[in-house]
Amino acid sequence: MSWLDRARARLLPAARRDWAEALWAEADEVPAGWERLAWRAGGVRLIAREARLGHRTGVLLLVAAAAWAAWPPPAASLSHGAVNQGDVIITIALLAGLPLLIRRLLGPPTSRAARWVRAGFCAAVVVIMPAKAVAEQLIGATPRGGVDLRTFDLITQGSPAPGSASGGPDWGGEVIVLLITACYLAVVLALTSRRANVAPASVAAGAGAGLVLGVVMYAVDPLGGNKYATNPWLHGSATDPLVILAWAVLLTAPAVAAALAAKRCPVPDDPGPAATARAWQGVAAGLVCTGTGALTAAVLGTGTTALMIKSALVRGWLFHGAHLTASAVYGRELYAGMDVQFYGAICVVFPLIGVATSMIGAATAMPRSLADGGPSGPG
Amino acid sequence: MTSRRRLSPQALLVLAALRKQPSEWQHGYALASETGLKSGTLYPILIRLADQGLVEARWQEEPTPGRPRRHLYRLTADGAATAAQALAAVPARWRPARRPAAALDASQPARRGAAAPAVS
Repeated sequence: MSWLDRARARLLPAARRDWAEALWAEADEVPAGWERLAWRAGGVRLIAREARLGHRTGVLLLVAAAAWAAWPPPAASLSHGAVNQGDVIITIALLAGLPLLIRRLLGPPTSRAARWVRAGFCAAVVVIMPAKAVAEQLIGATPRGGVDLRTFDLITQGSPAPGSASGGPDWGGEVIVLLITACYLAVVLALTSRRANVAPASVAAGAGAGLVLGVVMYAVDPLGGNKYATNPWLHGSATDPLVILAWAVLLTAPAVAAALAAKRCPVPDDPGPAATARAWQGVAAGLVCTGTGALTAAVLGTGTTALMIKSALVRGWLFHGAHLTASAVYGRELYAGMDVQFYGAICVVFPLIGVATSMIGAATAMPRSLADGGPSGPG
Repeated sequence: MTSRRRLSPQALLVLAALRKQPSEWQHGYALASETGLKSGTLYPILIRLADQGLVEARWQEEPTPGRPRRHLYRLTADGAATAAQALAAVPARWRPARRPAAALDASQPARRGAAAPAVS
């Protein structure tokens, strides 16, 4: 049964291999025939269970479904299709390779919070991949209302045409998006690894604050940063309080997460390492917060844009009460499709804000003796 | 800190079987025969019990010639205490009617209507 030995070594973690071997060795004691066969079938079941084969298969099927949805249709223009194909292939390579690389270099995740955050970031990348492809393919596709609509839009709005200098595939932009994806995955995998030594409470505080941030940002701009596309959602002055709230959450959420993380950090006796440990927990929580916020907004935003393009039901929900002409609807779809880049921008800007504000948040949570750089003594 | 361990009826059967001879090392097949559990159910339970420190495992030192080494199991001190406490709380209705009843009968008399076995 060398194939089983190979499967055992390949699939099972080291701590579980002995158990599978034990079950298999015991088979010699079981009466030959159906009973022994059933015993060995239990061994195969044990390997499948301990290797979490059902879970792995489910994840693989989901990723395959996302890749299938993101893969360009045969009718897509050659250049846009090549961009989407490259995007799918490289994103899947990143999802498959980076976790293995980081595990080898920095160790596995050490807490349930770390595993959830990792899974959430990977799921976000998997969801964004087809949603972004749908939005990008719209730019090169013939409108539902006919090719005349495209010509009308070109004349009245001046939006870029597929294949033109401004409307062709954006290879540079695609490279930047893939770099952002790689950085996000690498940073979250590293922060949640054993060697990063980020406490589960820090990860949880960052993720919780980040979810709030992401939902508020999405509510402000559900269809990208272009107000022409987003206007139907919030009219005129109704946007203003939400924008103020979004800025407030963006600036305070990482600081609050950092302060919570720093406060809960166990403090060594030596004030120098204690201050460093607290600052590290704070910055890590801030990074997780802004990363989670940016990805949440990106998932919801690109998802809404893709659904708007694909589903009349979602268009009706978004443009409720507005009697838009076919040209206006197409214009909004086109703008929203092009504005998915907005989410790429917030994915870059948010972590920078997160690092700055989380340092402030961590500093506020330091005991006075640590903030001054040493124990407070008499005189 | 107090941790609560929820044990399934099958895990209780395994604990009860091991508790019959607490100082003896037992084989997987013997435990399967005693409890009536299939190998694909028994071994995951043994793994969890070992992870919780209730069961210890080792490889046979002198295997029978021509046979592979066998894995042996017995209760730890913590496992024996947990088994005694959990089995005392087993409601009588949980007792299987057939062969595995022998395993549970080795434990203390079950109390009818007791709460689900959760050991702190």
